[in-house]
Amino acid sequence: MSTGDATLPAPRALPPWLESAVAQGLALLAAFAIAVGVGSLIITLYGENPLTVYSAMLSFAFKDITSIGTVLSIATPLIFAALAVSVCFKGGLFNIGVEGQFLVGMVTASWAALTFDFLPGLLHLVAVLLFACLGGMVYAAVPGVLKVTTGAHEVVTTIMMNGIAVSIVAYALNGPLKFTEAPPGQNVDLRTDIFEPSALVPDLGHLFGMGGSAHLSWLFPIAIVASAIVWFLFRRMRLGYEARVVGSSAGSARAGGIAIGGVQIKLFLISGALAGMIGMQQVLGERGALVQNYEAQLGFTGIAVAFLGQNNPIGIVFAAVLWAILSRGETALQLGTNLPREFVIILQGILIFSVVVVYQIAKRRLARRELQRAGAEVGLRDTATPEDEAPREA
Amino acid sequence: MDLTDIGASIRIALTYFTILYLTGLGGLFSERSGIVNIGLEGLMVIGTVTGAAGAAIFAGPAPEGMGLGAGGVIFGLLFGALCGALFASVHAVATINFRVDHIVSGVVINLVAIGLARFLSFVFFEQATQSDPGGPHLPRLDIPGLSDIPWGLGNAFQNLSPVVLFAAVLVFPVTFALYRTRWGLRLRSAGENPEATRSLGVAVAPLQWQGVLLSGALAGMSGAFLAVEVVFNWREGQTLGLGFIALAALILSNWDPRRLLVVAFLFGFAQAIPLRLDDAPLISLLPPQFINMIPYVVTIVAIAGFVAKVRPPAAAGRAYEGAGGT
Repeated sequence: MSTGDATLPAPRALPPWLESAVAQGLALLAAFAIAVGVGSLIITLYGENPLTVYSAMLSFAFKDITSIGTVLSIATPLIFAALAVSVCFKGGLFNIGVEGQFLVGMVTASWAALTFDFLPGLLHLVAVLLFACLGGMVYAAVPGVLKVTTGAHEVVTTIMMNGIAVSIVAYALNGPLKFTEAPPGQNVDLRTDIFEPSALVPDLGHLFGMGGSAHLSWLFPIAIVASAIVWFLFRRMRLGYEARVVGSSAGSARAGGIAIGGVQIKLFLISGALAGMIGMQQVLGERGALVQNYEAQLGFTGIAVAFLGQNNPIGIVFAAVLWAILSRGETALQLGTNLPREFVIILQGILIFSVVVVYQIAKRRLARRELQRAGAEVGLRDTATPEDEAPREA
Repeated sequence: MDLTDIGASIRIALTYFTILYLTGLGGLFSERSGIVNIGLEGLMVIGTVTGAAGAAIFAGPAPEGMGLGAGGVIFGLLFGALCGALFASVHAVATINFRVDHIVSGVVINLVAIGLARFLSFVFFEQATQSDPGGPHLPRLDIPGLSDIPWGLGNAFQNLSPVVLFAAVLVFPVTFALYRTRWGLRLRSAGENPEATRSLGVAVAPLQWQGVLLSGALAGMSGAFLAVEVVFNWREGQTLGLGFIALAALILSNWDPRRLLVVAFLFGFAQAIPLRLDDAPLISLLPPQFINMIPYVVTIVAIAGFVAKVRPPAAAGRAYEGAGGT
């Protein structure tokens, strides 16, 4: 491929942003094709027909309005999670700790729901959501401050913070937030007291005729608004510019007079606030309490969804819905095929890997073309990148 | 709490040391060659499920297994190492050939490993989250001399898995290979300055591939040890973030196999506190959930306190443009 000019078409006069958008779209399609292809191979090896399997998964997700609502409610926490990951990522930070921040957010929100039950109506809910964000922020601030003051890499510290967060939830459920009246029955799971209805997020699905099992709440539109805010913040505000500079080159940031540490801590705080919202769908939209067997791993899934959406707030919304369709497909597999439901996780994994690799290739080709165009403008025949010069190995 | 408890916690620390040291050495080979590998946890996960499967196949009783006894268990551990290396080759392709960001690829490795482990478990054991308990394992051994220490301290060195000894002895060949052989010099130079390495006519990409494959093999063996020799079966989530703690130990050791030996044991001891020393003075005042936090807090404090004093391989994490591929 590095035979250079021969394989590359002559630089065209497409505006760069359009070229970049087309390239991204093509890359996503290619990655998707690879994932579907490798998936088909596995399905065939398992003795099933790929077409049947894929169409079963798709048609199950869209079989009625309630099922669509379920897909959107699965997507809701994933949007918050992926946004949280992407905010840090824009500044070159890997917040692997979204998982822990979301767990702590659930604890602080539950505390607020039980403590501020005297607040009237909507105020109660607002207080709960505020505390969810606050819990996530405080918990995200720790690795942020450690990074800025001591240089401790955020990947290691946030992973450790995740381990601690699991114990914090366990402590809360065994101690301060444990139910005051044990529910009837013998082997009861630990949980908090049931929250007042004013703390819960109202259901949205019934407006569209969805069944109650969809659990589609107002959190979904809130998640959309959150992604719009993130888009605005990073496209139109100074912080977004500073984050991009810090993320792409610390040297330029320093030369440009940007306080790198300040930007990094701000990114961690925003990320933590978004992470705090992840757990609200299950706590306020479905269960009405914090329970022992809560749904975990959402923070980690957020990393995958953020990659799939290429850290673009709009892309993330679509990526989360796509992920939710696949996840819902697990049930379809169980009902209609002999394939183990774990196949879906494999498919999601292959998808993420091909997205990451294909985007990387597309990005490099774009950069090379940009370089050639710049070279053509100043009258040079070819400005080769180092990789074109280096002899091939292996 | 008495000396017997301390002896027992040293024994637990030795078990955790083995996991952390094997995985940490894996990370060391990879990062010394210039490829950051935060997928160690995921590689360990693959090692746990394939190691348990290998032990069941090679050493399990006759109808399903081959009944090879202790030798079969060793084959099982090696099978875990092989599968770890195979899975690590995904990281190698992504980072070396396609120059994907090392951390991004490592994160994806960890994400995919959880699903892949479930899938493999379904294929091997026909259940997604664990294998049958009480699987075959190696005969235990007492370390001569040390196991005779009186006051209960001797039990720290009794009834150990032979793999513990293997891991501890590994420090000699690894140190020799890294600092006394041509291969070791080239591997380290690839991680410090790949362009200079290249200019001397040494191909960088094969060295980095070797580093990453070694990291997969060692992390896979570490996972296999955990499943086969410690827990006696595979369970989902049994790695408990130890791959990341190994990564932290590697950083604190300044990427040196001899120092890593000490750091891995100290971190292993921190792991033993919630299990054995929960009635020690001061510690017993904490609620049990807080005692469980100790290993993680120790890791954070250690990293935050010492990270300024270590120096990673200069080119680790950086894409090397001459490595071939697209």
